[in-house]
Amino acid sequence: MSLNSTPLPGTIGAKQPLAKSSSLFGQSMQKLLKNKLAITGLVVVVMMLLACFIGPFFSPYTDNKVNMAMMNKAPNLKHWLGTDALGRDVLTRVLQAGRISLTVGFASMVLSVFIGSLLGAIAGYYRGIVDQVIMRIADLLLTIPGLPLLFIGGSLLSEWKVPTEYRMYIVMFMLGFVNWPGLARMVRGQMLSLREREFMQAAVVLGLRDRRKLFNHLLPNIFPLLIVIATLNIGGSILSESVLSFFGLGVMAPTPTWGNMIDAANNLIDFQERPWLWIPPGFSIFATVIAINIFGDGLRDVLDPKQKR
Amino acid sequence: MSAYLTKRISYMLIILLAASLLIFSLYALTPGDYISNNIKLSPERKAELREIYGLNKPLLERYGIWMKNAIHGDLGYSLAQQKPVLTLFNEYIWNSFLLAIVSTFLTWLIAVIVGVVSAYKQYSWFDTLMTILIFAAMSLPSFFIGLFLIKILAVDLKWLPPGGMLTTGTNAVGMAYFKEVIHHMTLPVIVMTLLGVGSLSRYFRSSMIDVIKQDYIRTARAKGLKESKVLFRHALRNALLPAITLVGFELPALFGGSIIIEKIFNWPGIGQLYMQSFGLRDYPLLMGFTMLLAILTVIGTLISDVLYQIADPRVRLH
Amino acid sequence: MKKGVYLLTSLLIVGSLVLSACSDQKDTASTSGSTTQTEQGSKDQPAAAPGGESGLNEPFTAADMSKLPAVAKQRTDTIIVGLTDPSGAFTPYFTQSGYDGNVNSLLFGSLVTVDEKGLPIPDLAEKWDISDDQLTYTYHLRKDLKFSDGSPMTADDVAFTWTIQFDKAYDGDSMVPTLPVKGAQEYKEGKAASISGIKIIDPQTISITLEKPNATALVMLGDKVLSKAYYGKDYKFGQLEYIKKLHSTPVGNGPYKLEKFIPGQEVRFVANENYYKGKPKTEHFIYKTSEGDTWQYLETGEIDYSSFSATTENIDKLKSLGFVNIIPYTPSTYGYLQVNLEHEALKDKKVRQALTYGLDRQSIYVDANQGAGSVANIPSSPISWAYTEDGINPYKFDTEKAKQLLEEAGWKEGAGGIREKDGKQLSIHFLGSKSKQTDIFIAVAKENFQAIGVKFEPEVFADFNSLVSKMESGDYDLVSFSTAMLTDPSDGLVQFLDGEIKAYDNPKLKELYEKGLATSDIEERKKVYKEIFQLLNDELPIIFTNYKKTVYGYNGRIDNLAVSPFVGLANSLPDWSLKPAQ
Repeated sequence: MSLNSTPLPGTIGAKQPLAKSSSLFGQSMQKLLKNKLAITGLVVVVMMLLACFIGPFFSPYTDNKVNMAMMNKAPNLKHWLGTDALGRDVLTRVLQAGRISLTVGFASMVLSVFIGSLLGAIAGYYRGIVDQVIMRIADLLLTIPGLPLLFIGGSLLSEWKVPTEYRMYIVMFMLGFVNWPGLARMVRGQMLSLREREFMQAAVVLGLRDRRKLFNHLLPNIFPLLIVIATLNIGGSILSESVLSFFGLGVMAPTPTWGNMIDAANNLIDFQERPWLWIPPGFSIFATVIAINIFGDGLRDVLDPKQKR
Repeated sequence: MSAYLTKRISYMLIILLAASLLIFSLYALTPGDYISNNIKLSPERKAELREIYGLNKPLLERYGIWMKNAIHGDLGYSLAQQKPVLTLFNEYIWNSFLLAIVSTFLTWLIAVIVGVVSAYKQYSWFDTLMTILIFAAMSLPSFFIGLFLIKILAVDLKWLPPGGMLTTGTNAVGMAYFKEVIHHMTLPVIVMTLLGVGSLSRYFRSSMIDVIKQDYIRTARAKGLKESKVLFRHALRNALLPAITLVGFELPALFGGSIIIEKIFNWPGIGQLYMQSFGLRDYPLLMGFTMLLAILTVIGTLISDVLYQIADPRVRLH
Repeated sequence: MKKGVYLLTSLLIVGSLVLSACSDQKDTASTSGSTTQTEQGSKDQPAAAPGGESGLNEPFTAADMSKLPAVAKQRTDTIIVGLTDPSGAFTPYFTQSGYDGNVNSLLFGSLVTVDEKGLPIPDLAEKWDISDDQLTYTYHLRKDLKFSDGSPMTADDVAFTWTIQFDKAYDGDSMVPTLPVKGAQEYKEGKAASISGIKIIDPQTISITLEKPNATALVMLGDKVLSKAYYGKDYKFGQLEYIKKLHSTPVGNGPYKLEKFIPGQEVRFVANENYYKGKPKTEHFIYKTSEGDTWQYLETGEIDYSSFSATTENIDKLKSLGFVNIIPYTPSTYGYLQVNLEHEALKDKKVRQALTYGLDRQSIYVDANQGAGSVANIPSSPISWAYTEDGINPYKFDTEKAKQLLEEAGWKEGAGGIREKDGKQLSIHFLGSKSKQTDIFIAVAKENFQAIGVKFEPEVFADFNSLVSKMESGDYDLVSFSTAMLTDPSDGLVQFLDGEIKAYDNPKLKELYEKGLATSDIEERKKVYKEIFQLLNDELPIIFTNYKKTVYGYNGRIDNLAVSPFVGLANSLPDWSLKPAQ
């Protein structure tokens, strides 16, 4: 099977199944626009993206320069969100951190959803030996618990001489890789169930080709599920990145991420006395993840052919 | 069924064997060993100790020794804790289990209720409110929400203890002991439930919505069945079906402990022990623990598949 | 120069630190969070806590005991102290973590202990003699010593304790086996049935003979004593497996007995009625397992005592709690950057000096830590009797001087402002453990080194073990470390001589080191160490960074609390008593 004919299942921007019918696409857009909650989510995500990727250009503090005279200052006119323990501007760092956290979240979601749904669908559809091979590999990876695997992966990084600058990509890869087997199982389960449905039996009777059955009939049917999983997954990956930072396995200082910014304020004194150190990154994670999730949820309602209001 | 089980169990054993080799190699690849913790040792002393602990043997030989002992039920002796690995498991796992079983129960209970009601009353104010609340709970990093609750509920308001499992120095027994443990586990259970309930209830809502739209539900309604009967007898059963695969997956989580939660709440569980042991490269313990999880995962998967078949006879097992 | 103290990494991460490893030379280094040493403090202020930067120079007495949380008020005969992670194996010499060392320092007494200056004082031994050739040490035990099970303690037990550390199966981290004890090698190789250097003179007297003088031997050998009747019952040469079964049921001779160990939660002690100084004043003592930030436990009254980095805000917060007494304290350690002397550029003394001048240590270790530290320039803690600033170059932060030294060393500015020599760029690959202190170091050092034309490539490790193995692979230029607790001035020098710092070989230092150990006369030794410090301060085989500065906060109800910089709270604990709550 050629890769380019495969829709990127579950990515937010996956237009292929939508674009094939402009009227359906138009309908969907209309429905989506009516869902205020989802649109709010979308607006927040877009604003967050814009702020993080464009915002830092307008900041006078992008060099992240240490300034001992400005340590731990509360928010003021010059530093809207105050400064951290090294006198760096918190606002600028939160935005720069957002770039990394968002990129890591999206990229690892794409990776795991792509691998997971593709392999899951193939296994569920073809069954037999293909199913066995894929699922046994998934089983094997599933038997090794995720966090320990990430610990080992994190420790191996230095052995492989991965330069600190590239850690971000490795983190993405690790998160994406850890997630796919579970996803594949779920997709496969759904496929197995779908195969038994009447419309598939009809497709078989009609003598449709495998590819057509898989991509025109089966995948669109698991699409709602994939959307839900993919959205939860982006959020989950952003959260996982922060957890990795908490354990010191994520992206390393001085490169800021939301996770390691919260971790840097991880003590009772900062928690009590200096809320500007942890509220901005904490709120950013919270707002972004909740917005992504709500938007994805709205998208699901729209994309699900079975949904009716 | 029994032929199926035999086949599955032999698969399981092969997978476990493959997993044990993979895990063993991964740990062996991890830089550093137990001896390198102590940088004060002279190179000669380090060599001596590696000899004593057998760390200088080739990888496959070490794996062979480990495997041989493991088959005989001996998971080895923790280098850092100076106790047999199995004894340590016994000391720590039940504490983890306690947290996990309570929070898993609460998670499923809340998730099913919220999921079903949300689906049934899709787009109602209840659904919207729940959607927002659930997404809110899912959108905070676990360590962050944990630290935050400790600050508010334990340090500022002093309603709950900040961590641990018992009041230090307590001599409580019986009911008093029980109450004390409950008091201490409230915070971690709240956090674990909050974290778990989100995706599960979305999952239930989503499959419930699917099911409600199915023909047989319409048929059931057309037959004039009572709405509650339709909902619980027909819809819920089918909606829970995909979730059944998840039941088995909970198994390792029940005994594996939560590294993050235990660390934050200073809970004497296996997750915390694992964390410390990883830093120290206490291989017997790491290997034992990871394999334990692997075994539980494999058993959990089997349970899932069997349950799946019982619930949905259309799926044939091979 | 202010003398003060600070620790490299550990303390800051969590803002506070629980007790940790004891006097063993274990686990050096600035590992993150909780793996390192340190406890201690002192009532009557060891020499070096002056210094103006920090907010606390004198003990502070709780101002408002009515704020004491109810939990802490209710305790009448129990004192609780936090301890990171005791494992439950409490046999001295066999413990695998310093935390277990903290536990057994209460369960076992030593023949000789040290006072606040690190000088030997009697404990289980009432006196000792050292032969004129400095080779034979004779310990005279007190009369009627008893183990906690009531059995008598004699010279036999001491001989047994020494002997098993030379067994070939001994896998502990005691430094005793490194001593040149006469006949020890033959015993270890199985050629002799006993160690010829150990002589039991009578039940109260025992002597041990070395092949070479060593001024640290008196204290090292005069450590904790194991009961032969209990720990040696099944001993056969080459077989120490049996002792593992006894780890969780220690029989000691210290102020407390083990009452109960609750894994991952508590170590409970009860006063030992057989202790030679008499039963301790407080019946129960508990080490509570507590990871990470101990603020919450002190604040809620769950523990009575904890150590914190001496930052202004920590001190202010402790004071504002109202029920906490505070004592400032200077740990007996120093922080440093290990330099990879096998790398061409760093072999040049001028480059090492340039890096030292070019690094703003004042900002990194003092200012960014709100005064909870000071800059170090010699391999000795400021509280050591050997400490000196005489003839020591302070390497005050000076970018110009650094540039000039690099020019002299032949490193000229090249593309992108990075210095080059023979077509190679001057870059520094730094390794550090994950901690707040490392974050500070990287942020500041990056700017500092850029200013002098040195490329800076930091790498941070989540766990100490990965860092060590990276270092052992030789792929580094600088690594950030802190020493374990140093008792004798020679302790801080061992690393320059035993091959730990690779490619450093200085015959002059070796000669001086031997000279420093050859005599027990303090004044004589002071002179030798001054010379050594001046030598190392100039040569910089490692870059000295900082001293840490901490405070102890404890429940105001506790009386007679003192913490020794060298043996922690073990010496004063028997005297701790609880005042009635208000």
